[in-house]
Amino acid sequence: MEISNLPISPSIRSKLLSKGYTSLSSLSSISPSFLAQELSVKLEEAVEVLRAVSDTTTSKSAHIPNGIIPGAVTAWDMLSEEQMQRHISTGCEDLDAILGGGIHCKEVTEVGGVPGIGKTQLGIQLAVNVQIPVEYGGLGGKAVYIDTEGSFMAERAYQIAEGCIYDILDKFPSNSREFLSCKERLQVNNFLAGIFYFRICSYTEQIAVINYLENFLTEHGDVKLVIIDSVTFHFRQDFDDLAQRTRVLGGLSLRLMKLSKMFNLAVVLLNQVTTKFTDGSFQLTLALGDSWSHSCTNRIILHWNGNERCAYIEKSPSVASASAPYLVTGKGIRGINSNFKRARIM
Amino acid sequence: MHAYYLARKDWKRSILLIKCQVVQKVASESDNESAGTKRKKAKAEESWGDWQVEDDLMMDTEKEDFKSRLAPDVTPNRQLPWLTGIELLSDTNQNKHFLPTGLEGIDALLGGGLRQGQVTEIVGPSSSGKTQVCLSSATHVVDRNFGMVLYLDTSNSFSPFRISCFVNQLHPSLPKELKETSLQTIMSNIYCQSVFDIFALLDLLHHVETTLKHTVKLGGSKLCLLIVDSVSSVIAPVIGGKNSQGWCMMASVGVLLKRIAYEHNIAVLVTNHMVGGENGTLKPALGESWKGIPHIRLLLSHGFRSYCQFCDWQLK
Repeated sequence: MEISNLPISPSIRSKLLSKGYTSLSSLSSISPSFLAQELSVKLEEAVEVLRAVSDTTTSKSAHIPNGIIPGAVTAWDMLSEEQMQRHISTGCEDLDAILGGGIHCKEVTEVGGVPGIGKTQLGIQLAVNVQIPVEYGGLGGKAVYIDTEGSFMAERAYQIAEGCIYDILDKFPSNSREFLSCKERLQVNNFLAGIFYFRICSYTEQIAVINYLENFLTEHGDVKLVIIDSVTFHFRQDFDDLAQRTRVLGGLSLRLMKLSKMFNLAVVLLNQVTTKFTDGSFQLTLALGDSWSHSCTNRIILHWNGNERCAYIEKSPSVASASAPYLVTGKGIRGINSNFKRARIM
Repeated sequence: MHAYYLARKDWKRSILLIKCQVVQKVASESDNESAGTKRKKAKAEESWGDWQVEDDLMMDTEKEDFKSRLAPDVTPNRQLPWLTGIELLSDTNQNKHFLPTGLEGIDALLGGGLRQGQVTEIVGPSSSGKTQVCLSSATHVVDRNFGMVLYLDTSNSFSPFRISCFVNQLHPSLPKELKETSLQTIMSNIYCQSVFDIFALLDLLHHVETTLKHTVKLGGSKLCLLIVDSVSSVIAPVIGGKNSQGWCMMASVGVLLKRIAYEHNIAVLVTNHMVGGENGTLKPALGESWKGIPHIRLLLSHGFRSYCQFCDWQLK
């Protein structure tokens, strides 16, 4: 809405700016003769300036006859898009059910829990599950794994990929011809080749890689999942100025939101826990403070329920809060019932 | 002085101050003593009597000369109407309707709902239901045919599925085909746009303002509710630190929202989050300067949730 964006000659533009006309609204109710006198230019040039102003303002609103701003989508169109969208399965049917199908694309999901609860296991499982071909009910996309702690192990990823393929072949009998072509793609090496791995050693590298991700994702258009494990690690020890940390993290989360929306992928952030002193007692909460808790779309908390691992959906705009138990098995993340089913068949 | 008055709530007053400054400049150039003394009187009293200064100008013998040299903002056809209390009250009763949020408790607290022409703010800790209030308001406002809704979303929390759940709850007794058509009509009137930084937000708000000025002449279904969820996620990364430009941008956003609300009779709903304050209590984000911008501020809270229970198990 600035004069500087108008398609007029530089000399007239500088005259306008020197007389104090900086925005288009200040030019909206002036007659051409007044403007010509004001700028000491010819009447035709003043008419041209005002025509450029009205063209700019009406062209922006004429693009979309019903909408208010360009780029706005109605909720009805978004609903049809959303219903066709596939979700990333976590491996555990109960957890998928309470999530409404799995991890949603175009959203940032934060997963937090105490050490040893299975956050990295869930991360690796998701990186494998996103690559399940479309014919078998998956997304058929690749994954970007940003590792800040060094807890990603290729051998474990191999194991989980093997377990995933075994379960797919178990579930879908490979008699029909259409599955035969996909079966060739179901190789463990292909699954491992579909995970792009970044190892990060400081918070500046973390900020840099997230800035670089936009270029990377433009080149590799089939990436459907970005996992950061964990987003907390480098921000806990090196930062002295907590206010600056909050600002940096806020900017980071906005960039991740933008990436997930622009490239239609899911972003999963793994977080650690800390103790907080509220209302006279110490409680466990997710790290990085109160401001960070607003920067994600969904939040899942992993916790111990007696001897069982449990996942609790704490924040989501579309599904209700619920809890589901899960297991960490040799094959990866599985639900409680699947193990028992296997025992009964045998 | 200029910036201070711009940050005050009353936009009208700031325009009057600009007019006073312009008058001073022009008067000093023309070297006219009568206008000069009147100008000094107006400045010394610091009265908001734009009427006083304009009145003097109109009666001035050199008024043509003055008018031609004043900036366009001060010419009479751009002057904002000067209303009495009675006229303001009747305008409020007739034109400034309450938009329903769909939640009875909140509507009761607000005296009917979201007021047109005002900025309402919802503050609350994480997952206290701020986005749900916004989605519910959008649904109910469109259902009662007040107009269109524009939803500016900064955290990808706009959920069309959740809107469809609200719509299905609205009229449970309708037959299936009518429900389908009503769902489509309602959802086609809710527009959503994602905003990820403050410059994009300012750009969008300027664009909305310009489009609204033109739509008034064209007619058609008009914007009646503008929701920004959440305004604090785009403002918080720029405020604080050494430079003060972030605070200026925050003030610009606030003034823009209020101007859009007032001039086009729109209800504006914004959400804000909470940050840690003293002694571990939470306080609304964005500080004291933002506090004065919304007309109404609602604080949402939730009691102990079950995850606190799981935290207790951890500590045992």
